[in-house]
Amino acid sequence: MDPAPPLISFRGVSKRFPGARALEDVSFDVASGSCHALCGENGAGKSTLGKLLAGIDVPDAGEILVAGRPVHFGEPRDALAAGIGMVHQELSFCENLSVAENLCLGDLPRRGLLLSRPALEQRARDMLAAIEATIDVRRLVGDLTVAEQQVVQIAAAVGGGARVIIFDEPTSSLSQHEADHLYALLGRLRSRGTTCVYVSHRMPEIFRLCDTITVLRDGKHVATRAANALDEAALVHLMIGRELSEYLGQKADREPGEALLRVQELSSPGRFADIGFEVRAGEVVGLAGLVGAGRSDIAKAIFGLDAEAHGRVEVAGKALAGGSPAAAMRAGLGFVPEDRKRQGLIAGLTALENLTLPTLAQLSRFGWIRFGAERARAEEVFARLKLPPPGLDLAAGGLSGGNQQKIVLAKWLAARCRVLLLDEPTRGVDVGAKSEIHGLIRDLAAGGSGILLISSELPELLALSTRMLVLREGRLVGELGRGADQETLMRLMAGVDAPIVNRPR
Amino acid sequence: MSGGYLQPPAATSEGPGVPARAVARGVDERPSSLTRSAGNPAYNRRAMSLLRRLLRSQQAGLVLIILALLVALSLLAGSHVDATTGLTVNNFLNSYTLIQTATDASFIAIMAVGATVVIISGGIDLSVGSVYALAGVGMGLFLRTAGPAGGAGAVWVAFVVCVAIGGAAGALNGAMVVGLRVHPFIITLGSMWILRGIAFVSSKAESILLPESLTHFAKAPLGLGAALYPIPMLAMLVVAALGAIYLQRTVMGRHVFAVGGNPEASRFSGLRLGRIQIGVYVLSGLTAGLAAFLGASFYGSVSCGDATGYELYVIASAVVGGARLSGGRGSAINAMLGAVLIVLIRQSIRTLHADQNYEWIIIGCAIVVAVVLDQASARFAARRLAGGES
Repeated sequence: MDPAPPLISFRGVSKRFPGARALEDVSFDVASGSCHALCGENGAGKSTLGKLLAGIDVPDAGEILVAGRPVHFGEPRDALAAGIGMVHQELSFCENLSVAENLCLGDLPRRGLLLSRPALEQRARDMLAAIEATIDVRRLVGDLTVAEQQVVQIAAAVGGGARVIIFDEPTSSLSQHEADHLYALLGRLRSRGTTCVYVSHRMPEIFRLCDTITVLRDGKHVATRAANALDEAALVHLMIGRELSEYLGQKADREPGEALLRVQELSSPGRFADIGFEVRAGEVVGLAGLVGAGRSDIAKAIFGLDAEAHGRVEVAGKALAGGSPAAAMRAGLGFVPEDRKRQGLIAGLTALENLTLPTLAQLSRFGWIRFGAERARAEEVFARLKLPPPGLDLAAGGLSGGNQQKIVLAKWLAARCRVLLLDEPTRGVDVGAKSEIHGLIRDLAAGGSGILLISSELPELLALSTRMLVLREGRLVGELGRGADQETLMRLMAGVDAPIVNRPR
Repeated sequence: MSGGYLQPPAATSEGPGVPARAVARGVDERPSSLTRSAGNPAYNRRAMSLLRRLLRSQQAGLVLIILALLVALSLLAGSHVDATTGLTVNNFLNSYTLIQTATDASFIAIMAVGATVVIISGGIDLSVGSVYALAGVGMGLFLRTAGPAGGAGAVWVAFVVCVAIGGAAGALNGAMVVGLRVHPFIITLGSMWILRGIAFVSSKAESILLPESLTHFAKAPLGLGAALYPIPMLAMLVVAALGAIYLQRTVMGRHVFAVGGNPEASRFSGLRLGRIQIGVYVLSGLTAGLAAFLGASFYGSVSCGDATGYELYVIASAVVGGARLSGGRGSAINAMLGAVLIVLIRQSIRTLHADQNYEWIIIGCAIVVAVVLDQASARFAARRLAGGES
């Protein structure tokens, strides 16, 4: 009766993890040749579902059918054999090996007992050529950009015979230009009949790439719809289960107060030169630029994390000795770094311990931690961030991305910093948490803090910043006030007539 | 105590209340990580009975293994008739053997507390045996040439010299690790040879006798009886307790966990990594100095060959006690228990009259088995928590 069965079916799939929300009784189909989006807030279970399909985790209950037949993947190898490959959010490669070696790692070509290097490289080149990519197979994977590593992963999946490729938030650390390349590659894959399962929370790319959208919320299946039957507002509504009244909007600037942060002639060889600006109380100063323009480098240098930087940084009128995050902190600076996992959190410590890490000296007497004061301070900040109090004693590594990001922010709220450097504060954060973080940024500015905001998401930058500094190749090239439009900003970032290219990182 | 402790449990008893990962981290001296029920940990900390807390703690496993070994040894050891009193005495379960075992363990256990702090910070200290030897030799030479010949003065001078040499050696290790940016394995491998070499050269490979007052101090019976010497055992308990307090209740201790868990994020949080790293090696050196003071005093002489190979016993004790070599996890009390367990296994070979030639093989196997069991129980605990969460 039915035509062909769907390529992949989830039937009542459930999965539990300690400390993390998981999947509960999820059932839906993925049609052959489609590009199927998996959407939901962080912690909704999207990535978990992808991992079950790729054989990285095993479901506790329910079954997965491929072409109508139930499959049991105990290992990623099993999934690959069934034609399912995955492109991971955190790329998993042997960084010390070459592209060719990584691509052929499961089945290294041999001649007798010895490794056959020509055969190895030829096979790798063939695999890359199959997806029309050109990367020198002799380069070490550790030297590639994230975008190039992704291409290698895709080549590995396709070369391994994958008919289905799962993309887990592939653009979360790509520049716009690199993302465009990825979209084009996805298009080519689809034209060859490859089925794509695309995990993302970026609205524009979901609607641009996908024909079907499945929404998960709190580990449960909410809906599977055709993409053209939904718009952004409807999708957001499905994802968070309520209307999001102020998703980027509302501007109430107050008159900026005294200068809290003054940067003069700040330079770092090879990164940026001659940077000067002010952030005043009540301001959100956006720092715009393409990836590689030096935005994060400047924030790091201000916070004392760049030993080669020189120049003058003043916080609330007092000069800051360079090269010392501790001194920056004491002066009232807080820094939310872009890489939450590596730079923001200590996964093995509890949320509470992470949160009070920079402030511990204040919460102690003669080196003894005052546990009561520590907990009180953490609870106060937790309440402000609308985080559930029991979460305080969970290990930070087990929290969802949105909550992790809030903990990183909370560190500096607990430290009562007046100047905050925020580097991609909403990267990898779901829409709900994102809107809360936006609200928080506005509240902080309204409360008299000064904020330097770095973001690759132009709408976010435009909506939050009271003014924007534009950076290109390590130099300040312009300043835009509130009300600037995206195109003007984009052109300034890229250089007016120049094409949008990235400097190699 | 502030307001956080006084909240009624009902106010916070909703939401996911199981600090699953906190338990999996296995750091036992923190009461908050022991509560499994929902709600305010501060409240539960008080409500939970002592017994349940003990059973849930990470020490429980080690303590149970040690107790089982004690019982087994007592049953298997047989007995003999005491020549003077005419009473039947168990060959193992008698105060002499027990305190002797604790004394053997104490020198290793004291150093294992310091080694655990280093391991939690993500480092390693291979030089503790050499620091022990150098501190002992330095102390012996100092007393022979410049110090008081006996009395309480000699004890104090010996203590200060040993601890000072230990602390200085630790500071040197720390400064080299931080300043030269070389992996601590290499630095302390180097200083392991260098420090023992200094001890060798300065002592001219001679054994140096110590004043009798030191031995009198270290072997003070404290009213227990003529052949019972509890001082090293008491020192071990005090050092383990101090180590636990340092790790769990002080800012520096928390910083050690943070640096071991993620050095980069710690730096981004404004911690002074160099200072913290030097601090942990100083602590390790101090414990080695203290162990040298006690050990040398106890045995009455020092030589440059003292404590050869102790670094491996010390690190093994820390690891059997659950310290993770990649950093971020470990416990002072468990390090002590680890040392006790290793020494107990060694003792059991003697008590049971097994072939002593097999000692190293048996200890080696026991270390691997202990660590595998520890990992398995951690996985089991994580799974049980996952299953119970619904």
